[in-house]
Amino acid sequence: MTLRLSRLVAILFATLGLPWSAAAQTLYLYNWNNYIADATLRRFEERCHCRVKQDYYSDNEEMLAKLEAGAVGYDILVPTGNTVETLIRENALKPLDASKLPHLKNIKPEFLDPWYDRNNRFSVPYAYSISLIGYNADKLRELDLPTDSWALIFEPRYLERLRNKVTVLNSQKELMAAAMRYLGYSIQDRDMDKWDQAKRLILRAKPYWAAFSNSTYIKDLAIGNIWVAHGYSNDMFRAREDARAAKRPFEIGFTTPREGAVLAVDNMVLHKGGRNTALAHQFMDFMLEGENSASLSNLIGAGNPNAEATRLINVEISGNVDIFPDAARFGRLEMIRDFDARERRVLSRMWTQIKVK
Amino acid sequence: MLGPTMWDVTSMTEPTFPERLLKWVVSMPPIAFLVVFFLLPSLMMVGASFRYPGEFGGLSPLFRPAETVGDTGLTLESYRFFFGDMVFLWIIAKSFLIATLTTLLCLVMAYPLAMVIARSPRRQQELMVLLVVLPFASNFLVRIYAWIIILGPFDLLYTPVAVVVGMVYVHLPFMVLPLYTNLEKHDPLLLDAARDLGASAWQGFWRVTFPLSLPGVFSGSALVFIPVLGMFAIPELLGGTGDVLIGNLIKEQFLESRDWPFGSTLSIMLMLVVVAFAALSSRLARPRVSAP
Amino acid sequence: MRPNRSGMWIFALAVYAFLYIPLAVVVLFSFNDSELNAQWVGFTTRWYSVLWRDPDMLAAALNSLTIAVIASLAATVLGTMTALAVQRHAMAFLLPLALGPVALPEVLLGVSLLLFFRQVLDLTLGWGSILIAHMVFSIGAVAVIVNTQLVNMDESIFEAARDLGATPWKTLRFITLPIIAPAISAGFLVAFTLSVDDFVITFFTAGVGIKTLPLQIYSMIKVAVTPEVNAVSTVLMAVTLTFIATAARIAPHAVHASANVARAKKKRGAP
Repeated sequence: MTLRLSRLVAILFATLGLPWSAAAQTLYLYNWNNYIADATLRRFEERCHCRVKQDYYSDNEEMLAKLEAGAVGYDILVPTGNTVETLIRENALKPLDASKLPHLKNIKPEFLDPWYDRNNRFSVPYAYSISLIGYNADKLRELDLPTDSWALIFEPRYLERLRNKVTVLNSQKELMAAAMRYLGYSIQDRDMDKWDQAKRLILRAKPYWAAFSNSTYIKDLAIGNIWVAHGYSNDMFRAREDARAAKRPFEIGFTTPREGAVLAVDNMVLHKGGRNTALAHQFMDFMLEGENSASLSNLIGAGNPNAEATRLINVEISGNVDIFPDAARFGRLEMIRDFDARERRVLSRMWTQIKVK
Repeated sequence: MLGPTMWDVTSMTEPTFPERLLKWVVSMPPIAFLVVFFLLPSLMMVGASFRYPGEFGGLSPLFRPAETVGDTGLTLESYRFFFGDMVFLWIIAKSFLIATLTTLLCLVMAYPLAMVIARSPRRQQELMVLLVVLPFASNFLVRIYAWIIILGPFDLLYTPVAVVVGMVYVHLPFMVLPLYTNLEKHDPLLLDAARDLGASAWQGFWRVTFPLSLPGVFSGSALVFIPVLGMFAIPELLGGTGDVLIGNLIKEQFLESRDWPFGSTLSIMLMLVVVAFAALSSRLARPRVSAP
Repeated sequence: MRPNRSGMWIFALAVYAFLYIPLAVVVLFSFNDSELNAQWVGFTTRWYSVLWRDPDMLAAALNSLTIAVIASLAATVLGTMTALAVQRHAMAFLLPLALGPVALPEVLLGVSLLLFFRQVLDLTLGWGSILIAHMVFSIGAVAVIVNTQLVNMDESIFEAARDLGATPWKTLRFITLPIIAPAISAGFLVAFTLSVDDFVITFFTAGVGIKTLPLQIYSMIKVAVTPEVNAVSTVLMAVTLTFIATAARIAPHAVHASANVARAKKKRGAP
């Protein structure tokens, strides 16, 4: 009697605790929203006779917060460079077994051995995007406005003609970076005076902006509610495609400002809390194959660090210098790096002041 | 009927065994559950507000294990940070304003609806209550997106008006239900008596119905006011550049700046203000005695 | 009809309209022939077939419903117990304790529960963690609603019951519970809706790979909330409506009967 009861209790606790998992192996992927093609996942599932389950985040910080609080079970994460650095320093990643990644050679040399992960001990580049300005090309031509400079979102003399038709990213890092580049400083500059300058620049422009938006700008641009948006290159690509599909009377364009911009490289890493290291390596190598890597770019217009894949990407995308920057533009791009805790606090207070004033 | 029973005599003096048993049976499960799954985690977060932010965010350890960079131990730094700049108190005040406005609007809109439901025949009541709650079966985000579609053409999007409309819309049922459960219990004889004594319809409402409904008013207000303070999704999606509330700030601490101690501090300061407010309102919520 | 009365009715209808116009938009736009779904383009039913063939979305919807039913039943029981303890057994401290989770910002509650589950209980996240989390924030809402109805109850009823020889348990079962039945079911509805719609707390406490509908929809934000999401919302509303209407049909008589008995007792006992 007691034996049966205790077994029942054990089963009860087991079902309460463990996630339902299929009899076959399951790979747990923690990825950005819409950052892998469904067809690609199905192909992998067929090849490995396994299941892939995805959870999503829309921000590196969101992912970190959940991991910080102790979430385990994810095999692969897809963090941006600065977040990879953080994860490595937190000892949260498993080192890669290069022997299991024969297709690593497909990656373009300029993306290998990055500052955030020397010798690619922990990470493999996946895709990248540029934070730039997207705009309603017809409207801007009509208003005679420049499209290749951050001045478009920071200068009142331009903003006057764009009142309530501009949105910017709801991200302290991105907006400060744009302001710093416009002022001619590196985004890594730690000088408080320069930060103050950037803050004042933002506050001066803020009254003209409609909203801070991380995702709704895609829709807004494509319908024509908003004429200028600070956002990511792959989102702008999507807005352009959507506007074309809906046969709008205008074209969406996007340009990397000439003062420079932020480059965000996303990478696949193995989280310590994952259980399926072998399967995870298989997945990584699978995604390093040209065909699989290319399908993401073709789907969402993401920049691709994979040389093999680049040959298989639609020319319309791979030939676009704002998605696949040429050497000149590349030189003007910077990656965001994290500051230390004290500096983060100062910046966060600055961001609050920006939001409230 | 029956002669004096055991309960006649002893219930006047001290609780009997069955009464005490019932008392513990009824109260122990909720107490145990809430203490374990609410009080303890919350105390952990209160503790978190006195710690240093971890080097990578989150919380830094209390004791200095090997390889720790940055400060460890307890500190009042987060609180000093909070009081060091008026902007935080200003945001809390602004959020209170929006919450008050939302609550008042909900009250004005919900009261007549609750009265109509309470005075309908029993069968109809159930249906009407269900209709109030049904919108929630659709998804929060989808309803907000519907408002984006509705408000867009009127140029009201990204304005404070949009934020208030969204807040009222999402919280209206929480005001209707407590009001209805209270009003439903009112004895219609009271109003008849008032009218016999010469009161007009308005006087009957203001001096009989409304005072009796105060407990419902206050519970409804609590269910609206408090959640509004913590909301961040509506200001983020519907609001303009100036519409930032305390909920957004707290969310940013945890999900963007990774400054958990400060996020906890902000929440505690908010809680303190809410508790003060709740203590005040519970004093006013004591039920009035019905007129003979 | 006194003008005051019909004025109230019109106002009430206006409020219902306010509640339902966005829903009409939701349902209407589930038939929108546009992926971006920002403006009306044309009529189509294809999103419903997309939904039918989308295992992730369907699983998420089912999860949400299941979790909501279980969590709100449990929360209703505990919340009713709380209100009873506060009003009938003089444990006034329970009400603020139950309301605490409602007062805390959801992000804080989510993070604290996650921390607690992982670092104190070392519990692997899964169904249990979501259920517990949903119960935590629902109990207070139920308690508050039931409490308001108990507060107004006439003490003389209980005295009459005692005089007639009823045990405390019988009083609870045959007098108190039937009288507060409307509040209990209202509380259940509130708990249900809180659970079905919760995003923030579920976000932190859901196990790896477990999706509820809000989580699933949130993951589509960037892509644009396609009409498929409107379709699943419409379906969910229809299912909820059917479910509750059926429940009302099965159990109304029990509720009505005992409520009528209670009313009669009250009338007899009132001064």
